[in-house]
Amino acid sequence: MAFLEIDGLKKRFGAVEILKGIDLDLEKGGFLVLVGPSGCGKSTLLNTIAGLETITEGEIRVDGRTINDLHPSKRDIAMVFQSYALYPNMTVAGNIAFGMEMRGVPAGERQKAIDKVAKVLQIGHLLKRKPSQLSGGQRQRVAMGRALVRDPKLFLFDEPLSNLDAKLRVDMRIEIKRLHATTGTTIVYVTHDQIEAMTLATKIAVMRDGEVQQFGTPAEIYNNPVNLFVADFMGSPAMNLIPATIGSNGSGFSVVMEREARQPISLPLGNAPAGLSAFQGKPIIFGVRPEALTDPEGAERNASNIARADCHIEVIEPAGSDTFAVTNLGGKAVVARLRADAKIQPGTVTPLAFNLTKAVFFDPATEKRIV
Amino acid sequence: MSTVAETSITLTPEHDARPGATVRSRLQDALPKLVLAPSFAATIVFVYGFILWTIYLSFTNSKTFPSYAITGPRAYQRLWRWTFESDPPSSWYTSITNMGIFGFLYISICLALGLFLAILLDQKIRGEGVLRPIYLYPMALSFIVTGVAWKWFLDPGLGLEQTLHQWGWTSFHFDWIKNKDFVIYTVVIAGVWQASGFIMAMFLAGLRGIDGEILKAAQIDGATTFQLYRRIVIPLLRPIFLSALIVLAHLAIKSYDLVVALTSGGPGGSAWLPSNFMYEYTFKRNEMAVGSASAVIMLMTITAIIVPYLYSELREKPR
Amino acid sequence: MSAVATPARQSTGGISARTVNRIVIYGLLALFALFYLMPLFVMLVTSFKTMDEIQNGNMLALPQEPTFAPWIRAWSEVCSGLTCVGMKGYFWNSIKMVVPAVIISTLLGALNGYVLTKWRFRGATLVFGLMLFACFIPFQSVLLPMATILGSLGRFGVKLQNATGLTFGFGNPTVNLVFVHVVYGIGFTTLFFRNYYEAFPNELVKAAQIDGASFFQIFRRIMLPNSLPIIVVTVIYQFTNIWNDFLFASAYAGSGDVMPMTVALNNVVNTSTGVVEYNVNMAAAMIAALPTLLVYVLAGRYFVRGLMAGAVKG
Repeated sequence: MAFLEIDGLKKRFGAVEILKGIDLDLEKGGFLVLVGPSGCGKSTLLNTIAGLETITEGEIRVDGRTINDLHPSKRDIAMVFQSYALYPNMTVAGNIAFGMEMRGVPAGERQKAIDKVAKVLQIGHLLKRKPSQLSGGQRQRVAMGRALVRDPKLFLFDEPLSNLDAKLRVDMRIEIKRLHATTGTTIVYVTHDQIEAMTLATKIAVMRDGEVQQFGTPAEIYNNPVNLFVADFMGSPAMNLIPATIGSNGSGFSVVMEREARQPISLPLGNAPAGLSAFQGKPIIFGVRPEALTDPEGAERNASNIARADCHIEVIEPAGSDTFAVTNLGGKAVVARLRADAKIQPGTVTPLAFNLTKAVFFDPATEKRIV
Repeated sequence: MSTVAETSITLTPEHDARPGATVRSRLQDALPKLVLAPSFAATIVFVYGFILWTIYLSFTNSKTFPSYAITGPRAYQRLWRWTFESDPPSSWYTSITNMGIFGFLYISICLALGLFLAILLDQKIRGEGVLRPIYLYPMALSFIVTGVAWKWFLDPGLGLEQTLHQWGWTSFHFDWIKNKDFVIYTVVIAGVWQASGFIMAMFLAGLRGIDGEILKAAQIDGATTFQLYRRIVIPLLRPIFLSALIVLAHLAIKSYDLVVALTSGGPGGSAWLPSNFMYEYTFKRNEMAVGSASAVIMLMTITAIIVPYLYSELREKPR
Repeated sequence: MSAVATPARQSTGGISARTVNRIVIYGLLALFALFYLMPLFVMLVTSFKTMDEIQNGNMLALPQEPTFAPWIRAWSEVCSGLTCVGMKGYFWNSIKMVVPAVIISTLLGALNGYVLTKWRFRGATLVFGLMLFACFIPFQSVLLPMATILGSLGRFGVKLQNATGLTFGFGNPTVNLVFVHVVYGIGFTTLFFRNYYEAFPNELVKAAQIDGASFFQIFRRIMLPNSLPIIVVTVIYQFTNIWNDFLFASAYAGSGDVMPMTVALNNVVNTSTGVVEYNVNMAAAMIAALPTLLVYVLAGRYFVRGLMAGAVKG
């Protein structure tokens, strides 16, 4: 039995359905990231777990206990908010201890708990300050301290890093990961940043319009997206999704992509998924991640199926660690990820290597992956 | 992040896990509404209930004391008749004509002067910190004090006229405050003196809120300072105009005290506004039904102005 | 910053157009400053003059022999109607009325604003709209029913006194005025706090909930300690409004020794027995104006903000 179980959860505001039947579960010590674009319902879902919003239908269980109707303070959870939600009128110590104060914990014990958490998070020197006197990163730590001090069954994070600048965000991400590794707590984490999702999660739920699109490990989500939305949403730069048709070349299938003012490119598919046979001669969406589209020298050595094609390079973007090249296939700008020192010029025609073992195909009508 | 849920948090009251909430948890559930209830009830009873009561009274023949037998719209018929009784003018005719004169002049002068002063003060003025409070302080005074001050200042025998006479301008003549045809204009002067500084502050806040880049863009487009104000700045201040208009209309229709303190009603009630008419007829002339009817008419006037405004204000930010 | 920078123009010898421009602007501003200051100045100098000096001197002249006598007379001797005991009693009447009315209406406004923003329920906007409209009604439309109700409460008070020896405040004009000002003030105080709490982060309330704070604990420990700016605004607004009120005061406490300051001042000025003592009248007016002027001087910034909030846009 999983530690956190969500069964058929629905949430309606009047006639509007915000959550349309969510089923998720998470093992003890797991790290579940809810990811999706704005308005997909991920924060609402988190709020229903916290008890800050009521649910219309379904059930939420933690450690076997149904918590649907429990007051937030009785659910044995802690939450870190996007704005940190530190009480501006209280000191750091007061913030951390407020929950214990509300529960009537004696002052001496409170002090002990504060000291312990302050040590873990290295915020001992900040205890007497007000939140307004802290930097963004310090506030973030205090907010985590307030959550940690409760020693809850379940940690909830609502976009905790989105108010930090880029560098601090990376640092805090690592910090959260370390915290998870050392304390072994169970965490549910909301973000719209797919990199955070990939790096932190043991399980990811990609959400859209109140529905879970795909639920799985980061690797599953990244390599085997179930539909166009997940493929497009996860990964940066995003996966190239190229309109193409399926042709056959005697021995097997090939994928054919139109090009403006040039011959179409046709790539032979060695190990095409079985479902593709139904699409022979029909349009499909051909998905290939930028890192699977490289200069021939940079291509993965042990990939079983690499096809080459001459492509017209329109733009190049040297990014330091890599060089991105943009070509046009099937009417779309397609990004290839080349080695940093790849010799390439915009406006020239250069061979690119397609790693077809990593390629995925989607049905344009249903947007589902063809397997 | 913006889900619909984000904007309206519905906090879950403490529930027991058992089905069937206990009395205590149901009380917790209702607590917010219980807290709001007394204020809301007071508003319903003492505002809306009393308005209905006043409307009811206006259809009776109440004199000194309320009478509760409906006798029809006689009070309104009298007011309607008085509305056209201009020679000699009925008190009601005087009141509503004065309201027209006062309302129009008070609102338009306050708006014009307020905007003018705000634009002047917005020219990077040294000493703005001193000038602004000087323009604004009259708003802190009560109408009664304002009235007393201006009564003295405008008194021909004591104030401005006398002073100018002493300075040698003996032909100067200014006795509006004692002249039944002009007394209402002295109310305008005192009213403008009191409120225009505040309107200035509203406009100044509006001017300071305008995005400087828009102005820079307009200057690069070659607009002169005058064009800049006429074509860009003043149109951008439209919401302030509306708010100021509402504040002034609201103040104007309530200006009872100022007339009393400044003119004691003026010679023969020539400075009355409808609010004075209402008070006099209800409490002094023992014509309670007529007083009530005039109050209802005042209420309907202000409602016609305020309700659309409030509606748009509360609707603009849908929740 | 929006000040429209006048584009720098090249001076072509002599005084530049820009300098002329500045002189005109400063001149106009100074002229208007005189217009706004004049009545206060006249009131102030007159209140320190002797009657002799008033009748023979210039209105704008400074007092030749400044005297505090008019102020002393205004405070403790001046006649309002036929009673000649000065303004001091009426001053305290006003204080006794203003302080409780301000405290109660502010507290109710804070609670209402808290409920209307953080514990939203179906119909909250309608409730707020109805309360808000109440701010704008001409009070003439409720004057009479309120007088009737206060009258019956007064008779009830007399009965209570006969039965128990105490009126419990029923029929007391000061209590009546406190009640009236609270009832017709909560619309505005609710508006202030609602607009302020609207911008107050919901996450703080959520965090406090998870910490186990109750409805009132959240209000007392989280909301109130962070509401100082709006409390100041509300208190100032209510204080000036209630102190300056004349309509309710004259309708429900319009005579005798229960009058608040504004009514008493109006009576003093209109008392026509004997010689009109203008210096004393002016001193009395100054006494009536001082508390609100003082508030304005001490907290002018908040005063403006309060007035602006009255225009709904906060």
